[in-house]
Amino acid sequence: MPNALHKNWRERWFPNGEWMVLLALIAEIGIFSSVAQNFFTTANFVEVIRLSVELGLLALALTPVIITGGIDLSVGSMMGLSAVVFGALVMDWHWPVAAAAFATLLIGCAGGALNGMLIAEFKIPALIVTLGSFSAFRGIAEGITHGAVNYSGFPKSFLFLGQGYLLGVPAQLPVLLIAMIGYGLLLHRSVIGRGLYAIGLAGNGARWAGIAVGRRIGLVYFLSGFAASVAAIIYVAHLGQAKSDAGTGYELDAITAVVLGGASVAGGRGTILGTVLGLFSISILQNGLHLAALPSELTGILTGTVLVLTIAIDRMRARGRTLIQEEAIEMKNSQVAILCGAILAGALITAGANVWLVRSLKTMPSSASGGHTAVIAVMPKAKGDPYFVSCRTGAEEAARELGVELIWDGPTGLDAAKQNEIVESWITRGVDAIAVAVENQAGISTVLRKARQRGIHVLTWDADAEPDAREYFLNQATPEGIGNALTDEAARLLGGKGDFAIITGALSAANQNQWIAFIKKRAQEKYPGLNMVTIRPSDDDRDKAFSETQTILKVHPTVKLIMAISAPAVPGAGEAMRQSGRKDVDVIGLSLPGICKPYIHDGVVQTIFLWNTKNLGYLTVYAGAMLSQNKIPAGATSIQAGRLGSLEINGSQIILGAPLLIDKRNIDKLDF
Amino acid sequence: MKRFRSELSVAFAIVALLIVLAFLAPGFFTRENLSDLVLANMPVLIVALGMTLVIVTGHIDISVGTTFAICSVAAGEFAKLGLPAVGAGMAACVIGAMLGAINGALVAYVRIPSIVVTLAAMVAFRDALRWITQGAWVQDLPANFQWLGTSQAASNGITFLVAAALVISIGWGLRNLPAGRSVYATGSNENAARLVGIDSALVTFSVFAITGALTGCAALLNSIRFNQIPSNAGIGMEMKVITAVVVGGTAITGGRGSIQGTLLGVILLGIISPALTYLGFSAYWERAIQGLIILCAVGFDAVRSRLERSAGDFAERTA
Repeated sequence: MPNALHKNWRERWFPNGEWMVLLALIAEIGIFSSVAQNFFTTANFVEVIRLSVELGLLALALTPVIITGGIDLSVGSMMGLSAVVFGALVMDWHWPVAAAAFATLLIGCAGGALNGMLIAEFKIPALIVTLGSFSAFRGIAEGITHGAVNYSGFPKSFLFLGQGYLLGVPAQLPVLLIAMIGYGLLLHRSVIGRGLYAIGLAGNGARWAGIAVGRRIGLVYFLSGFAASVAAIIYVAHLGQAKSDAGTGYELDAITAVVLGGASVAGGRGTILGTVLGLFSISILQNGLHLAALPSELTGILTGTVLVLTIAIDRMRARGRTLIQEEAIEMKNSQVAILCGAILAGALITAGANVWLVRSLKTMPSSASGGHTAVIAVMPKAKGDPYFVSCRTGAEEAARELGVELIWDGPTGLDAAKQNEIVESWITRGVDAIAVAVENQAGISTVLRKARQRGIHVLTWDADAEPDAREYFLNQATPEGIGNALTDEAARLLGGKGDFAIITGALSAANQNQWIAFIKKRAQEKYPGLNMVTIRPSDDDRDKAFSETQTILKVHPTVKLIMAISAPAVPGAGEAMRQSGRKDVDVIGLSLPGICKPYIHDGVVQTIFLWNTKNLGYLTVYAGAMLSQNKIPAGATSIQAGRLGSLEINGSQIILGAPLLIDKRNIDKLDF
Repeated sequence: MKRFRSELSVAFAIVALLIVLAFLAPGFFTRENLSDLVLANMPVLIVALGMTLVIVTGHIDISVGTTFAICSVAAGEFAKLGLPAVGAGMAACVIGAMLGAINGALVAYVRIPSIVVTLAAMVAFRDALRWITQGAWVQDLPANFQWLGTSQAASNGITFLVAAALVISIGWGLRNLPAGRSVYATGSNENAARLVGIDSALVTFSVFAITGALTGCAALLNSIRFNQIPSNAGIGMEMKVITAVVVGGTAITGGRGSIQGTLLGVILLGIISPALTYLGFSAYWERAIQGLIILCAVGFDAVRSRLERSAGDFAERTA
């Protein structure tokens, strides 16, 4: 242990090797400044800070938790619960914003105190407690809103907190600064903070040294619940919407930031400076990749690599230092062989990934030389979804045909906050046209308006934003049209009366909830004999749809038709039907012909509806390119969209055509 | 009796749930429903066996969901290359073991905390898989892939036998084999284990590799029940598996836990959701009720052991 008095500056400021993260951060900034457009600008750094506030609050709150050797997995779920409570109080109960915010903070404190009590008082391991409250908090939020209620329309003065500027900096920055200073003082300048380190290093020793261990541990969880509810309020102000899915997955990002910043998950190590460096190295990496139009999948790969590398280097150095005092860990030949094998395997996997990378880079459209190539940025709701994957094929076709550059990027799962973040980065990058498949109307409209003010053409496709936030909406089918088509087909197959069940995507999915509302309405108005027995979630997971269908068949033997309204749910329900051998139950739904083909041929799935997804992707890029060349005059009633021919424009909506009814007769002719 | 004490509260919760079901929804106990439930929870169970070893060693592996997806896709791709289903399954297990070995080597020999290593692996490999597949499913599998080229009943039988063999052999081996005891020793006190001659680093490395291989096996047994393979399989699986293991009484701090406890944990978590459906609860409240049941089961256990501790103290003082 080096003498405290002789600590040099490096040990003082970076006791846990945080300098490596600082180096990584500088390297990121250096690289992205040269490869990403408009990366090194004040405006961009301001946006990066704005996007880091919610995550930063969680990461700050998790730092003392991790220093005591604990963990809090419930912070993301607490954000969801707080957001819903806040939304309900303001919009449904008409409380003034300040009072609602206060009550929300109380909820956060109560949740944190519950965690703290179970951990400190009942001595249940933190991982277990917060794993439980992780599902309980999110579950309560979904329960009270039915996953569907989406509070929006908050007063402008409140939205300022998340969207406005205060003396040129984002209005929420002061909150983050206060939290940083507060936590910095608590951890590094107070007796309580020293106690937290002691607890993390040796819990029993700390108790014998006279530290109130239980109370200190309770305090850090209490504070983390409080910070999560603060983050939730800022999140609501930032997106302009409150929904039960707020903050999904934030806990892992926050933990990553803390650990990247040199904190030890075993406790006793970590600094606020390190957490802040870790936070910004993650958010700058994400921002830079978006601006450089590199695939966002690189975020995970690079974060993971940096995480393991920094800690590995730190460990190696620590071992080098202590080698003289401690006996070196002996390694047998067999272990060396295993280690070499593991490293070799890792290298092979990396090499394989590289081959794929080279291959995929080749297929990217190369920009035409000479003159300005229009850049069309298109965002799906979720990148990995088979539906959007097939839209992408059409989008690429149009980009090749027109010689424009296509940026195709979006969240990997349904995530309204991520969509805003990506649009922000496109504005900074300066693209010619943006087309978004909107996950959340109120949330995205603010940022789309901003894009229009900067002279970028804005389209929406698949799902619409608020009409004044975009120029045209590429309308493939209205929710009402889909709901009616499904209900009519169900009535036809059931002969006008009988029980049916719905398998939806996630319970909080906005699209599906709209369709369900229209299905219910249509059934009530036109088919009084139809009776919807139950709605079950599949979470867009084929295997879950499979077992939900099995359960429905047994619990509700009267059900004669399953309506699966999420793309992976139709094959799931179809397979369950085939394995059960029930010939008297029909399956219809909304899905891609490609993944349903075997079931439609077997006759277990009767009908699916969909528009031609390839054409939708094609039209999106085509219309984007035409807009950026100002080829759609105001008041036009039709456009010539390449191979699609003439399409009708109704007001500000470009109509793709009616949804396709797909069954045995036409499925082999469709290639998407 | 003392041996099974930590599993009692879970067993009690299962029995209580079953009694409620017996009165309110006797349809739950049909042979068909039970066999569907067993098959649906098979992947979680097999992965949980490996996870029990990892957690008993005092570590954690949150990359299993990603490994599951990679192995599923790999099994499908190998089958399409013309390998028979069994060969493709072997290949999936080897790939799983390799991914587990990378985790294990970093944890055991480079000594990076397991939660960090596996968090990095979970995120990095998931994104790599997304990039490679671009979200596309593996389709047009050869006809002999589904049901291993046999009938549905035979294949389900094989699945059941494999799972039973794994549960029994790992459960027995963990209690009775020197290798199994060394897992407990490493988890209780790594330094002490090393001093009595146990190669604790090799134990740690092995449990991760075994978990990877079991995840590959689970991926295969799940894939052969369908005729196409989604590339986004296994999202959130790590949570289900870890919850089942810790609800089953395995101490997250290492050194304590059992396969029979894990089996009970998987059963409890596996029946909650369908049981709530049978009892007519709305899907919207399911997750909240699930969280509460878990908290109750663990909380009950904690309160009981606390009462026991204070009773013990009292006995000591009055002795």
